[in-house]
Amino acid sequence: MAKGNDRLVDDYLGRLEKELRGLPRARRRELLDEIREHIEEERSQLDIEGEAGLRNILDRLGEPSDIAAEARYRFGVAEKKRAGAVEVGALILLPIGGIVIPVVGWIIGVVLLWVSDAWSTRDKLIGTLVPPGGFVGAFFMWVVAAQPTIAPTCTKVFDAQGQAVSTACSGGGTSVGDVLLIVLAVALAIAPMVTVVYLATRIRRRRQAPDLAPSLG
Amino acid sequence: MVAARQDTLLAQMRRGTLQYCVLALLSQGERYAPELVRALGDVDGMVTSEGTIYPLLSRIRKDGLVETTWRESATGPPRRYYRLTTAGHTALRVFIDEWNTFRDGVDHFIQGGEADGQGQRSLGRRLPRSA
Repeated sequence: MAKGNDRLVDDYLGRLEKELRGLPRARRRELLDEIREHIEEERSQLDIEGEAGLRNILDRLGEPSDIAAEARYRFGVAEKKRAGAVEVGALILLPIGGIVIPVVGWIIGVVLLWVSDAWSTRDKLIGTLVPPGGFVGAFFMWVVAAQPTIAPTCTKVFDAQGQAVSTACSGGGTSVGDVLLIVLAVALAIAPMVTVVYLATRIRRRRQAPDLAPSLG
Repeated sequence: MVAARQDTLLAQMRRGTLQYCVLALLSQGERYAPELVRALGDVDGMVTSEGTIYPLLSRIRKDGLVETTWRESATGPPRRYYRLTTAGHTALRVFIDEWNTFRDGVDHFIQGGEADGQGQRSLGRRLPRSA
């Protein structure tokens, strides 16, 4: 067996192995074994082991990506898309864009989120609204919620001479309020991170062209 | 748009029925994979790239419809032979029944349409407007 021909086969199997990522290990190994056996079998049937003959065998087998697509279909494995620049940009700018460039940074993140087709509308809504503004938005929401506790508002009642007769204060932490506030602070602090992790796991492959079966068309 | 949808439908039909073509081939006796692949490739339009058969074989083996045995070959490396299991025979029988009913049903309307030339023409006139 010629060295160059072995390399052709190794290249082909290497590409196939890469394409099969995402399938369960056992299935991947089985498929690689079977395709390797197929090539060996067909090679042994060649009258002369030449590069042309081998290339024909590989051509008939088809593109590794087609075989992998068929394998994902047969085993019901969703195709995973590797995040592109748009998706990465969205995942970075949504939580911290507002820190780098106030308001605008986060808005750019939202635009990237909605431009990308890697997420469903539901996921895009979650990415936009949990929480709006990312970490900055979460911080402001916390400040607004904490306002009554941090600075109790007091109302003084004055008599006709301008003398204060009574002072009524509202707010000021009750113990229940404190606990709620801490819970809220924690929730708001981790919400942007949770959203980013959620979105990262929900990235899906672009919907394919009408021909869902590239190999069998 | 209509043509594209039709292509998808045909591709899906092939994909769905290919499994039973393999089971039917194996019901005639055991075969090794490249042999199966060649038999399927000989029929026009069933398979365009041989490699895509292997995910299917892997799937039906996992489902227990076929099993494999290694046998020595006189001409090359040992071969992995595929054979139908009892479950495979059953699955094939069930499919054949359903397929016959389905095919007869579709044929009934398609051939009825063709026999009735008048109906064909009026259908032809209606189609462009809706497309």
